[in-house]
Amino acid sequence: MNEMKTYRYILAALFFISCFACNKKLDVLPQNNVTSIEDGDDVKALLYGSYSSLQGASGFGERYIFIADLLANTDMVDYVGSFSIYKDILNKNQTRESSIATGIWTNSYLLIEDMNIVLDKLDLVDEDERDAVAAEAKFMRGVAYFELVNYFAQPYSAGSTGSNAGVPLVLEPTYIYDESKNKPSRASVEDVYQQVIKDLTDAADGLPETADNARATTYAAKAFLSRVYLNMGDYAKAATMANEVITSGYFTLTSTYNQAFNNPSNSPEDIFGIQNTAQSNAGTSNNGLSTFYRYAYDANGNGAGGRGEAQVDANYFNYFDDPNDFRAGFVSDGYSITGNGGIYTLKWLTFYRVIPVIRLAEMYLTRGEANLRKGGAPIGGVAPLKDINIVRERSGAEDLAGVNGQDFVDERFRELAFEGDRLWTLKRLKSDVGDYSYDDPKLVLPIPQREIDANSNLTQNEGY
Amino acid sequence: MIRSMKFKLTLMALLLLAAAQLNAQQTRTVKGTVTDAANNNPLPGVTIKAGNSNTLTQSGTDGSFSITIPEATQTLIFSYVGYADAEVTVKDEMNVQLTTADKSLNEVVVVGYGQAIKKEITGSIVKVGSKDIRDFPAPSFESALQGKAAGVVVESGSGKLGQGIKVRIRGTSSISANSQPLYVIDGLPVTSSSLSDPTNDASNPLADINPNDIESVEVLKDASAAAIYGARAANGVVLITTKKGRNNQKTVFELDANTGLSNPARLRHFLDGKQYVDLYNMAIKSDAQYDLDNDISGYPDLETAIADYTDAYATYGISLSDLAGGADYNKINTDWQGLLYNRNAPSNSINLSATGGDAKTRFFASGFYNTQDAIVINNKFYRYGGRINLEHSPTDKLSFGINIAIDRSQLNRVTTDNAFSTPGQLVALPPIQPLYDPETGELNNNTLYPNSLFDAKYNSDRQVSNRTVGNVYANYNLLPFLSFRSEFGADILNLYQEAFQDKRTTDGAGVGKANNIIALSTSYNTNNYFTFTPKLGDKHKLSAVLGMSYLQNDTKQSLTNAEQAPSGKVQNLSGATSITFATSTNDRYNFLSYFLRANYVFNDKYMLTASVRDDGSSRFGPNNRYGIFPAFSAGWVLSEEDFLANSNTLSFLKLRASWGLTGNAEIGNNSYYSLYNISNYPELPGYIASQVPNPDLRWEKTAQSDVGLDFGFFNNRLSGEVDVYYKKTSDLLLNVNIPATTGYTTITKNLGNMENKGIEIGLNATAFSTKNFRWNIAVNAAYNKNKVLDIDGQIIESGFSLTQRAVEGKPIGEFYGQKYLGVDPETGDAQYLGEDGKPTTDYGSAARVTLGNSNPDWTGGITNTLSYKGIDLSFFFMAVQGNKVYNAAGTYQSSGFYNGFDNETTDMLKAWQKPGDITNVPRIGYFYATGYDNSSRFLYNGSYIRLKNVSLSYTLPSSFVTRLHLSSLRFYASAFNLLTFTKYPGDPEVNTQTTGNIGGGQDFYTIPQAKTFTFGINAKF
Repeated sequence: MNEMKTYRYILAALFFISCFACNKKLDVLPQNNVTSIEDGDDVKALLYGSYSSLQGASGFGERYIFIADLLANTDMVDYVGSFSIYKDILNKNQTRESSIATGIWTNSYLLIEDMNIVLDKLDLVDEDERDAVAAEAKFMRGVAYFELVNYFAQPYSAGSTGSNAGVPLVLEPTYIYDESKNKPSRASVEDVYQQVIKDLTDAADGLPETADNARATTYAAKAFLSRVYLNMGDYAKAATMANEVITSGYFTLTSTYNQAFNNPSNSPEDIFGIQNTAQSNAGTSNNGLSTFYRYAYDANGNGAGGRGEAQVDANYFNYFDDPNDFRAGFVSDGYSITGNGGIYTLKWLTFYRVIPVIRLAEMYLTRGEANLRKGGAPIGGVAPLKDINIVRERSGAEDLAGVNGQDFVDERFRELAFEGDRLWTLKRLKSDVGDYSYDDPKLVLPIPQREIDANSNLTQNEGY
Repeated sequence: MIRSMKFKLTLMALLLLAAAQLNAQQTRTVKGTVTDAANNNPLPGVTIKAGNSNTLTQSGTDGSFSITIPEATQTLIFSYVGYADAEVTVKDEMNVQLTTADKSLNEVVVVGYGQAIKKEITGSIVKVGSKDIRDFPAPSFESALQGKAAGVVVESGSGKLGQGIKVRIRGTSSISANSQPLYVIDGLPVTSSSLSDPTNDASNPLADINPNDIESVEVLKDASAAAIYGARAANGVVLITTKKGRNNQKTVFELDANTGLSNPARLRHFLDGKQYVDLYNMAIKSDAQYDLDNDISGYPDLETAIADYTDAYATYGISLSDLAGGADYNKINTDWQGLLYNRNAPSNSINLSATGGDAKTRFFASGFYNTQDAIVINNKFYRYGGRINLEHSPTDKLSFGINIAIDRSQLNRVTTDNAFSTPGQLVALPPIQPLYDPETGELNNNTLYPNSLFDAKYNSDRQVSNRTVGNVYANYNLLPFLSFRSEFGADILNLYQEAFQDKRTTDGAGVGKANNIIALSTSYNTNNYFTFTPKLGDKHKLSAVLGMSYLQNDTKQSLTNAEQAPSGKVQNLSGATSITFATSTNDRYNFLSYFLRANYVFNDKYMLTASVRDDGSSRFGPNNRYGIFPAFSAGWVLSEEDFLANSNTLSFLKLRASWGLTGNAEIGNNSYYSLYNISNYPELPGYIASQVPNPDLRWEKTAQSDVGLDFGFFNNRLSGEVDVYYKKTSDLLLNVNIPATTGYTTITKNLGNMENKGIEIGLNATAFSTKNFRWNIAVNAAYNKNKVLDIDGQIIESGFSLTQRAVEGKPIGEFYGQKYLGVDPETGDAQYLGEDGKPTTDYGSAARVTLGNSNPDWTGGITNTLSYKGIDLSFFFMAVQGNKVYNAAGTYQSSGFYNGFDNETTDMLKAWQKPGDITNVPRIGYFYATGYDNSSRFLYNGSYIRLKNVSLSYTLPSSFVTRLHLSSLRFYASAFNLLTFTKYPGDPEVNTQTTGNIGGGQDFYTIPQAKTFTFGINAKF
């Protein structure tokens, strides 16, 4: 071979190994994720993502509801399983490291971040849809802050709302993490409540009266506002909000109590409900309301698929004053996954069904109680006694002849047990929760330790 | 980047043009055979090197060789492990005999993109030959490295088959990024991480490699050796070289067949039926006594209290007769532990290969079939496959070839240790529960916990992998001193997993479920490089490698779960009617690399090596995509110096030193992007934010210094090496916690640093050597100390049950929790170290302290090999020292019934009963037991010494086998894990989380290692 040819081969090989085009190949786009929010559809997709966040185990899919009931466990629910994180909540032994507190906290703020992005990128949405998108995003953000302030702060009823620590108020998106900017301190309980009212009021103003696919409506926002005002002891506003929902004409009580539960889509009574399917739910083996509340083996010992670790406390039945009350019998015998026999509520019996977040029955009880406590002419023109009896009659319980505040508390328990209401009712009325005073630090979740480690501006709750 | 590339090209061109000025030389070809002087048996794999040049070859299976050498070559040097080097004058036909002696220094060692002679290597490389790998009764070859290679810590985690194996070379060098080494087969980096069901344990794709095809495994430990793999080398590199044919070698067939049986190596002791009843009654009495002593219920006497507590046990817990299902519990004694193991689990293996070559073509072909049952029920591994390595040289200048292996494996799996359905948890069932329901005669489903024998009987989980690993290459000698090699390889791994859970089982949840995973991983890789070996006279030897490599991996996976199976008759997706979850993922990453390495040897005395590699990866954003990884090393053969050359005792002494930088990018893909996940709320598909971006993400870098000494005494009859190293990893790729109020919990950042330092010793001695008898001892030991230096004050926790942490100033993987201080003899209370340094009986107020580490300080092994005529006996002990093992199941197995009526360990019978009892087991009782929480009570010294292998083989004399028309015949028998010495009450070689960096050494109903006996025959013809 002559030398020229050799050099040519060498140069060809050199060119080959230089691989000039290879550099471009290093730009690899993720194939399973979106990397930026670029148009109106992307913004709306983020908005819809919030429904998944509410559906998850750290939202209404389990913890927004179940943890309140475990904390308020007296005479209602027992946890017989082996997961120490739930046992700890039941026994008020939860620690700073509680993964339940961490889960509720991080999931709520993730939803808030998503909604902050939506509100920041509203310009990308078509003008005619913009207001509705903003209202729905504020509904979601308002709900998340309401749950956060309920779980991580002393109740509004404890007073000192301007100085009691609430949770950090983050209202701007985090596009790039900046240590100097992204370490907020806790806002006061009052500030958080005012933000919740602002968001939910804006939502009530901008949301439609009806919506497809069980999305939030103006009445869902008003129903949440009735809860907010009830917590604040603002009975006139609570009654007004409940009354607007009741008189809207869009909702009716189901004809029997059991029809309000285990529905494949919202019942006529559901003002806001979380939809579930076999493909989309909070879990069936380690998480999810039905996972815990459904017996693992039925009364005959046949495998049923739940964990069956949340059982009805025997004392629960003492609260019923009428043997014909259907609600007392809405239970079944069964066994937990480790063979503990017990009684199970049928509210969460079936997997993949709607989780009612706010039902019309609650609005009647709220209107009645708020009118009663407010005194004077009832808002909506319906007497409190009438409201409570509407709810009782549906379950075949005898009408009450007269009604007082405690009757409403007990009725809420009979009607709304296992739906996450009891703790907040006792707290707002400063009633003892079992052996614990309503403002006992152990009835407030700890600020997650990982959060305090990552953000030195946060203060821990008392008792942790 | 463009500027640095231009610089590189200019450098290359200058180097090559300078080289082109040198002239070619005349060559000749020499042939011959090499045999063992003792028995005239042919010696395969002998390295034959032309004196004073770099030309090398190896003898074939029949001992024959052929080598083309420069005309001027005077002598050939023959070297072989365990034999003395022979330098023989060149003749056209050479028949050379080697006598057994010292460990050879002229052995060929594979390095990245080339090979080198051991004597001239300046880095730290350990070689394990085929002899140590071929007969090992584990599916994957890494198991055979355990205890054989100093500084390479191999943890198989459990006796389940096909599980991921944790390998750490010189310690854990990362916190959040993967710390497994890079595996390279014949130049092709291969997929080694699990593609199977993410809810089960990691499986091991390396089990697809047939260990019998492996010629050698080289582990590149220090930066000098590994830096040529730059960006991916921080965890060390394992080079696997498969067998090749030789020129002019008669075709040799080799048949190897063996059969084996396995049983658990070591079991924990549990109560039998009678003991269980005794402990149950002891617990009642203990609770009653406690109540009485503390005046809780105001009982008049113990008898009343016991009667009341017996009722309470039945009401709040469960009575003995209820446990026994109404039968007479005194008559039931079910050995649940016995039911989870296969007795004498069989394994069978057959391997047939052919190797040979003519003047221009060389080949190696093999096929194998092997089946193995695990010691645990329902866990099996089957595989078969074949390989062809073929090379052809049409001219003196050109050679090309292909190495390809295709195989199929099937793994039948059991569920993860933390599942009621896994057989390992059967030990939790009380021995007074009958195996069969006395009423129906069927398997008992009224057990305390779900009876996983149902899962074993009705469920299935089969994972089939089809794998093709191969490369094609061409080598062209552009000039006598310059060659160009181009390789293109692909690793195609296709996994199909079908699992079914019958509705009668726990996992079937009353409805019946099916899962399906399909994974396809395709890697392709190309290496293109020049090798430059100019002739610079007798005293100077230079060689250089310059080239590039590009690797791209695409992993595609789909996962489907369904439920509602009418029966167990169709055990796949079509048998379950409702799809509950289905998704697919696609992932791509790539690496683009340029590398340069030069070795220079002066006068056989002084050696210098320098290498640099420039790596770019899709895993980093454009801001910091490329990283430069240089390494330098030097060697000085003191024994060649005049002042030592005449020493009678010292035959070889070399000092080595190296420094280099290597990288780690094993953080998964897309870490620098801003990401949104797709969410699936009914009718409202959407996005959820999932990752905050970090455009500045860059390579994690490990700087490593190594100083080593290689030595040989008494004509190398005693030889060895000692290395000390210091490794510092900086810019750790860390998942740093950020306030979740941002919407994100972590960000992947470069933060902080960590160090590993250690010493490694390898010794090889011929204790005794005559013509017929030989005794060889090989010893290795390694010490590694890890320390997290700086992670910005964070504490990163992991661990299964007892927390393990990465925290500044401590080694990674420290156990952290309450320290158990034994039992208060007066009260029977468990005592823990309090915050004030004094004992406390209140677990809640006990201090959490550092309790030890799951990583060993020292690891090592001793192999003794004795040979007498054709008989070889070897025994291999390995030892691990300084690590802790946590029995995470202790809180259930030894809770004194507080955490349930699980069967308990036999030591619970020694529980405290009355004041004055001196015992380490605290008070028991369903109501008032103490000490059942996670604490150091269940943390043990995990050190052990294990007789890993004893093997005996007999090679028939060649005079006899030739009459059978065979060239060699060998019978062998081996035993593995025959003896274990440890303080741990179970098997110390367990790790329920197989591959994490922080967590490790946790035993949770984990299956122990197998004790295996194998018998085999090996014939060549």
